[in-house]
Amino acid sequence: MMKQFFDDMTAKMEAGLLEKNTARQKFNLEVTRLGQRLYSGNQRLALCGVCAPFDLLNAMGINSCFVEFWGGVLATAGIANEFMEEAEHVGFQAESCGWHRAVLGAAIKGMMPTPDIMIATSSPCTGGVAAVENLAQKFGCPLFVLTIPPDDSERSVRYLADQFRSMVDFITTHTGETLDGGKLKDAMNKTNQAREIALEVYSLAQSIPSPVKGRDLVSVGLTMPLFLGTETAIEIAQAYKNEFTARIERGISGVPGERLRLIWLQEAILFKNPLIKMLEKDYQATVVVEELNDIYWEPIDPGDPFMGLARRTIAFPFNGAVERRIKHIKKLVQAYRIDGAINPCHWGCRQGTGSRGLIAEALKDLNIPVINLEVDCADSRNFAEGQLRTRLEAFMEVLGSISSERPVEIGGQACTI
Amino acid sequence: MVSDKVSYIGFTCSYTPLALIEAAGYTPYRILPVGDSPDQAGQILHDNLCPHVKRVLDRALSNDLPELDGVVLLNSCDAMRRLADAWKKARPADRIILIGLPMTTDDSAVAYFERELSRLVDTLGQWSGRAVSIETVRASIKKYNQLAVLFESVRNRFVGRGIIGGAVRLQGLYNMAVTRPFSEAYQTIKGFIDDLNSPIAEDTGIPIFLFGNVLPDPEAFGLFESCGVRIVDEDLCTGSRSFAQIEMDGERKIFSQLARGLLRRPRCARTLIPMTPGAIAGEVLSRATACRARGVIACTAKFCDPYIARIPGVREALRKAGLPMLHIEGDCTMRSFGQHRTRIEAFTEMLRR
Ligand code: SF4
Ligand code: SF4
Repeated sequence: MMKQFFDDMTAKMEAGLLEKNTARQKFNLEVTRLGQRLYSGNQRLALCGVCAPFDLLNAMGINSCFVEFWGGVLATAGIANEFMEEAEHVGFQAESCGWHRAVLGAAIKGMMPTPDIMIATSSPCTGGVAAVENLAQKFGCPLFVLTIPPDDSERSVRYLADQFRSMVDFITTHTGETLDGGKLKDAMNKTNQAREIALEVYSLAQSIPSPVKGRDLVSVGLTMPLFLGTETAIEIAQAYKNEFTARIERGISGVPGERLRLIWLQEAILFKNPLIKMLEKDYQATVVVEELNDIYWEPIDPGDPFMGLARRTIAFPFNGAVERRIKHIKKLVQAYRIDGAINPCHWGCRQGTGSRGLIAEALKDLNIPVINLEVDCADSRNFAEGQLRTRLEAFMEVLGSISSERPVEIGGQACTI
Repeated sequence: MVSDKVSYIGFTCSYTPLALIEAAGYTPYRILPVGDSPDQAGQILHDNLCPHVKRVLDRALSNDLPELDGVVLLNSCDAMRRLADAWKKARPADRIILIGLPMTTDDSAVAYFERELSRLVDTLGQWSGRAVSIETVRASIKKYNQLAVLFESVRNRFVGRGIIGGAVRLQGLYNMAVTRPFSEAYQTIKGFIDDLNSPIAEDTGIPIFLFGNVLPDPEAFGLFESCGVRIVDEDLCTGSRSFAQIEMDGERKIFSQLARGLLRRPRCARTLIPMTPGAIAGEVLSRATACRARGVIACTAKFCDPYIARIPGVREALRKAGLPMLHIEGDCTMRSFGQHRTRIEAFTEMLRR
């Protein structure tokens, strides 16, 4: 069923791309193509934690993705609930993260491709490690565990770099695929190229008004690492760059008459919901940035890739102490000239939601109001649409009343609305 | 430091190297999630965090703690990391260190943990103003090994024939040993062992193996007993996982031995054996079988990801082996625990038939 789903979606998108050639379409198409590869049955497959070094895996010819990716795909397709119910039925509590319940349910129902190997990552979350371990047991496949240290001291970076080296040996042992030095170098160069272009994309997104609209960049920062080390990442980033440049040149803002600029914390609600549309239509409010839509890491030195990959992994904003995350959010708030923050407080996420009080307090220092929602971004069963609408409306009114006249930048020129 | 004053270092996780804290001249003080501190942690932490860390934070916010010279937290899970963040906010003047804890126990994990332990000892030395020598560390490990040996014999007796005061008494001893100076703990356990030969009344309760994370309140064990349960062995982070011997061969580096010993002691669900995914299920089954339990009670703090994610696998393994399991979740208070009385009684009744 899932293979068919990805085949159909890919065919549909390929046809759609001929009519409407947007960056988002291109991104979605690559996601479904990845889905096709994962289900192809004739390619090596690794199911991983969010922080696995996907460019390294790509360099070894291993198709891979993080397990939460399935939760995202199922939620976007509007079919996650039945899988979550299945997981709950066998005892996985509704108190755990919805992405994990969805993928566990899919595995129980036999909807997941059987991986050759699994790689757990201790960051971002303990729940993720447990989900990967459960899946490895279910599939009876070899498991490798990466401990991502919380700090970026040299000894921690070295420890992680050494684990990546051991991971390569593990992959070779269990799949027969080896790591070719030339291919790794090439992958790192591609990663760096994609990084450079993505930096420009995010910088364009910061323009006032922003060229970003609606779902343009939803979950892009979280999903892009799956394509790093390949041409695909470069192409996707370039497509966004071209699109945003063109919009800015033509004076088109993502949301016409942009009045309020928002940051969306943690992750997006992926099942169908009217919130973003409502914000745009009723309040001319744009979610200009998601917390993970950013380049927070330095280029990787192709001559010493393991250390560079380790530094990047440790620098992930959700890793380690909350100070790192707060610093990152504050940087985005300033760069994007944010008026307010929406924190979905994904129920079941101790890692992310656990910090909500500290984040709200830190943003208070910058005079940025935060609205904490109580949702599970994967699970539409408890989505209290009416209540959330009302709360968001009240929040918008507060923001509207405190946002003063501010300079507007069009094509780099500052002016005032 | 004033020599006759007890200088405490707070800690919360059973992977904490008590010997290092002691070697630095401090008394390790486990901040157990007990007491009547009002619920305030929700101001900083979200409601969906485990009550273990929230109760610990409640105690910190209410000053329901002895004076602490510092706090040592381990990066054991998301909740602990968030506790470290929240502690800094709640008590900014406190000295606090977060120590990295690998997810696995292989050699490279041991080497990393070894470096973390040596960072800890340096920090403790800075806090106390006195460098900690390797000899002192070695001596402290030996001392805590002696304590572990004593606990081992108490546990053996507990599992074999039972002890006076049963599980309630044993839990009281664990709590004392993780909060009082070493010498006091040692003398108390020693005295208790000397009394072990006193006759005890036969317990007709249903033999149960108990496992999970935090269950420090001795009253909870009393509740079990009053429901007709006889706990014949347990695997809890506030119980038998508190003390285990560290193997020392005199040849290898002391921090390496300590790291290895701590990581490879009976583990919490947050630590993985990658070669055997889901190994915890088999471990629970073999422990339950070894102590001839007729049933298993899993006792976990709500919202604890390491445990709640493994319960279905454990339940399944026990089901296949014909061992019934009851899962109790609580918020570390007797109030919440007491609500399970009827379920525990029904479980015991079912096993009695
Ligand atoms: S939402 Fe939180 S718990 Fe769920 S996968 Fe993301 S980081 Fe992990
Ligand atoms: S009870 Fe579970 S979630 Fe809470 S601190 Fe312990 S391992 Fe972490």
